[in-house]
Amino acid sequence: MNESLQNLNGAVQLVLPEAVLLATVCVIFFAAPFLVSERGEAPAGLRHRWGWLSLLSLLAAGWIGWSAAEVPHSTGPFVVDGLTLFIRSLTLVSGAVLVLLHWNQADDSRSGESHACLLAILAGVNLVAAANDLVGLFVALELISIPTYLFLLLPRRDAPAQEATLKYFLLSIFSSAIVLFGMSYLYGATGTTNLYAIHQAFADHHMPHNALVAVATVMLIAGLGFRLTAVPFHFYAPDVFQGAQPSAAAMLSFVPKVAGFVALLRLIVPTSGGDAAMQSWMMTPSANNLLWWLAVITMFTGNLMALMQHDVRRLLAFSSVSHAGYMMVGLVVGLHSSQQINGIGALLFYLVIYGVMTLGAFAVLIAAARSNRRIETLDDLAGLSRTKPALALVLSVFLFSLTGLPPTAGFLGKFNLFFAAWSQGSESNRLLACLLGVNAALGAWYYLKLIGVMYLRDPVDRSEDSRPLETPVLVAVAVCLVGTIGLFFVPSPLWTHIQSVVR
Amino acid sequence: MFDWLKPHDVLWLIPAAPLLACLWVVVVGHVVRRQYAHRPVILAIAFSAVLSYYLLLKVVPEYFGTPVAHDEHAQEHKSGDHAQADHKDGDHKAGDHKEGDHKKDSEQKVGDHKDGEHKDHDHKVAVAKAKPSTAISVNVFGETERDGKVTPVPWIRIGDPQGVPTLLVLPTLRADAMTALMLVMVTTVSLLVAIFASSYMKGDPGYPRFFAAISAFVFSMCMLVLAGNFVLMFVFWEAVGLCSYLLIGFWFKKPSAAAAAKKAFVVNRIGDLGFILGIFMVWQTFDGSIDFDTIFGDPSVIARVVTMQPEILTTICVLLFIGAVGKSAQFPLHVWLPDAMEGPTPVSALIHAATMVTAGVYLVARCTPFFVHAPTAQLIVSGIGATTALIAAITALTQYDLKRVLAYSTVSQLGYMFMALGAAAAGKEFATLAVTFAMFHMFTHAFFKAVLFLSAGSVMHSMGDVIDMRRFSGLRKALPITHITFLAGALALAGFPLLSGFWSKDEILAIIFEATKHPKHGEFFKVILGVALLTSLMTAFYTFRAYFMTFWGPEKFPEEAGHHPHDAPPAMAIPLLLLGIAALVVGGATGPTHLYGNYLAHTPGLPAAHHHEPNVPMMIISSVLAIAGISLAYLCYVASPGISRNLKSGMSWLHTCSQEGLKLDAIYLRWIVKPLRLVAQISEFIDRWVIDVIVDCVGFLPGLFGAALRPIHNGFVQSYAMVMLIGLVVCLVTALRVLAGM
Repeated sequence: MNESLQNLNGAVQLVLPEAVLLATVCVIFFAAPFLVSERGEAPAGLRHRWGWLSLLSLLAAGWIGWSAAEVPHSTGPFVVDGLTLFIRSLTLVSGAVLVLLHWNQADDSRSGESHACLLAILAGVNLVAAANDLVGLFVALELISIPTYLFLLLPRRDAPAQEATLKYFLLSIFSSAIVLFGMSYLYGATGTTNLYAIHQAFADHHMPHNALVAVATVMLIAGLGFRLTAVPFHFYAPDVFQGAQPSAAAMLSFVPKVAGFVALLRLIVPTSGGDAAMQSWMMTPSANNLLWWLAVITMFTGNLMALMQHDVRRLLAFSSVSHAGYMMVGLVVGLHSSQQINGIGALLFYLVIYGVMTLGAFAVLIAAARSNRRIETLDDLAGLSRTKPALALVLSVFLFSLTGLPPTAGFLGKFNLFFAAWSQGSESNRLLACLLGVNAALGAWYYLKLIGVMYLRDPVDRSEDSRPLETPVLVAVAVCLVGTIGLFFVPSPLWTHIQSVVR
Repeated sequence: MFDWLKPHDVLWLIPAAPLLACLWVVVVGHVVRRQYAHRPVILAIAFSAVLSYYLLLKVVPEYFGTPVAHDEHAQEHKSGDHAQADHKDGDHKAGDHKEGDHKKDSEQKVGDHKDGEHKDHDHKVAVAKAKPSTAISVNVFGETERDGKVTPVPWIRIGDPQGVPTLLVLPTLRADAMTALMLVMVTTVSLLVAIFASSYMKGDPGYPRFFAAISAFVFSMCMLVLAGNFVLMFVFWEAVGLCSYLLIGFWFKKPSAAAAAKKAFVVNRIGDLGFILGIFMVWQTFDGSIDFDTIFGDPSVIARVVTMQPEILTTICVLLFIGAVGKSAQFPLHVWLPDAMEGPTPVSALIHAATMVTAGVYLVARCTPFFVHAPTAQLIVSGIGATTALIAAITALTQYDLKRVLAYSTVSQLGYMFMALGAAAAGKEFATLAVTFAMFHMFTHAFFKAVLFLSAGSVMHSMGDVIDMRRFSGLRKALPITHITFLAGALALAGFPLLSGFWSKDEILAIIFEATKHPKHGEFFKVILGVALLTSLMTAFYTFRAYFMTFWGPEKFPEEAGHHPHDAPPAMAIPLLLLGIAALVVGGATGPTHLYGNYLAHTPGLPAAHHHEPNVPMMIISSVLAIAGISLAYLCYVASPGISRNLKSGMSWLHTCSQEGLKLDAIYLRWIVKPLRLVAQISEFIDRWVIDVIVDCVGFLPGLFGAALRPIHNGFVQSYAMVMLIGLVVCLVTALRVLAGM
């Protein structure tokens, strides 16, 4: 009894920052209903308090997590290694940006709960990164999914938002089931749920790659592919992005991808072992082929569909699909164990850059909204250079970065991925690198089209707009802008850190 | 007075001042006080001019060699950077030298040469012992190290960073006697033209732009002559071309001006191609060296190349000469210069008569150490020069546009200079004389052609921009100052006895006459001499034809001029008068006194010269020809105008031929421009209907694929789940099949 308490205590020690976040979530859920009247009226400005509280909570989590030591060779439920710490800092920073984006997106009466959901999602991502057990991993993934349903619905309850939430809910459950199915097969094949033990089993006993493992592989990739928005599991993305509040769309474009990639890394690449001799159990040709094809199809579908869009939100949804494809290129390359630093490193590097630029783009869309109308279609962006020149310029920077043009971080990210795929040397990966290049060119088409719409077309609505710019969103825009430009000129600290993480 | 000024500072200050003025006008003067944009430019050019005279009279003579050998010093002077440091004290010592001293020095040298000719043997010994003249050179960007040694920062460095570079270009400025003379000519004429233009261009909407371009030109031209290596020279060779383009097309809204600017630029490209190929050849031949000091400073360098590859210098010379042909408007690339008269008249005077077009002559003169070893190339230079001189003179005979007459005469006179440069084919001992006489003609020509152009500009100014000589006449009463200055320039150009043109032209005729005595090329030079004499006659005729048509006869104004045409205002009149005086006397002051020749002879790399006695019979012949030409013009256009009319109708075919410049433009259009245009049209067709169609198809494909993918994104969650399921099943089946296959 005492021993198990000690174990529990030791495990919680490892995830203290997440505990802080979840404690805040509990506090908000408990307190928020009391601050809203029975008719659903809240004191004006309540949302600012929830916003500050969320930021404080993130800050506290960051402060506690700052000095966290690495505990890589753990047999317990959690593991804290370089990857965990890296993902934790990425989540906390992007979480702060998301809080800023979400600041005014929900009205006072529902703001508290939606902020709490956001914090829960972030805690879930961190727990995915820290998970050392199939059960823990699944629970952490669900800790992301379930608050997400609420997060989509809470800020707005009109028909499109309900439709979006419902679609996300159904398809998400479907994918969770697939993941669970895959995990059960993996458990069946190895007889353990501990990830370290699973890797050990494959490394030590030369576990045959039987049908059980193959099914588990496919199921896990497919189920997590939903979170990555890998084709053909991406269908929810455009509809949900279109229907949900922009801040929720921004969250969906980035956070689930982090979770999905981290879960995949935890499952297939034994970074937690830190043991070079240990090989990936998934490194079968079939898994590799599957990921290869998924990457290619994802890139092409995302870009080709984005070409056809007239709705900015759907366009960005497909753009996020295509970026998932780019990052999967890194995963494919990284599975060749000798190329781990290049492939996985490039993937993580791109993940950071993608977060900065896509959150920045959404932030500008939120900031540029008019008092009576959000930015929805291309027409709403027309002539932005004249009505809001600074925002148009900043959005152009983010779009250039998404295209992958210097002097923005997006260029380095794409270049790293391309270089990783090319230098791996095998013909299939070189082909992958070429296809990545083709897709970058396709992407330029619609990103530059957006810039063209902003700069070359006349504004559709010429009426004066008195809506003031919101400070929190502007701060978020500034942070993303600094990141997008700064990471181009000073990439080496981040890159060196990632290399030490991937090692 | 200039003691505080170190020699190497003079070198970079001369081009820096106009550059600064240019930047000032571009940045500030374009917006603020636009009508005063000329002030900083004139000030800067005046500053450069003063420094150029200082350089000419004070700085460069200190680097002249002396007959008494001082080997130690000579060694030190060879490397530019040491020379500067070394020279500071020399500077102070010689601080109280005056112009007079320098003259005395020169006269003493004349005496030396005379002695040398009498006792040939002694002379050679003296030369062998003598300390050679050196050039002063400065690296613009240098890092001073702790020990005070200056390490030049290279402009271009290609090759192993540690080892010997394959190409090393330093931003070196270098001045010797030839440079100093060029600088004085450029800055003086520029200054006077800029003052003239400040009044002439008044009220033009592009007033600041004009002066920005003028100062940019002066900067580029100074850098061109100061450049210490071929690459730097080429850069500013292009820069003056650019300024010329900008100024010819100054009134770019006028289609003819835009076309003329384009033509000048494109035709010059052909020459530049030759020049740059020549530089490549030099770089290859001289083991990666492109420095003037390295190549020309030591005769043994070229001597070694001559023994190893005797023919290579001919190739280099011909290629370099092609560059000169482009810039100096020689046949067959001379067609751009007459069209360049579309630019404002001060530009025509400065760039297209006095300075830029002489860059080709300067290039060939600078490369004399190459040319003396390549007699074939020199024959080509002479032949092209003669052809140009003749063709241009014939064309000038019948032009009605006053500026075009002057333009063709410029082409013709440049041809004269090349004729002289080529005369050294008759023997190495003529090389220095040939260069001297060509440069001297360039020098005098700069003044009298500038005054002619500016006078023509003054005529245009008062005639309401009408320049067709058939539409005005008898202006000598209405425009007395312009009349006087034009007459001065015309007399000088025609070679009227004892005026500038007479001295320089006579020297050219004399050297060609000397060349006819050569056993092998004598016949060739007899033809050249004939052409030169014929051209001399025609020059006098067409110059005075223009003069008489404009200023004599019944007084007639075009309606654009208004009722009372006014003569040049003071800002125009003063430069006109100064240039007019210069046109009359500068030749006589510096030519027969050997001031110019002896100074130029100090240029390092020029072979030792024989002394040259004035050729009196030639003088008489050329005087007779000049006076005959003038009289003929008087006869045809003043005394009995019927003669010219009869001639014109009697030989209308010849007249049209001359009028259209021997139809060269038409020939180029038909045989070069049109075929090229056809190729361009074919390329455009291929580009539009083959390449573009392919690109469009490729661009169309993504849309097509996208449209094909669209139906499955139909918004129904059931179908989404179904597609996901199908995807999952496909993945599973594939994976299991692969496993079964294993």
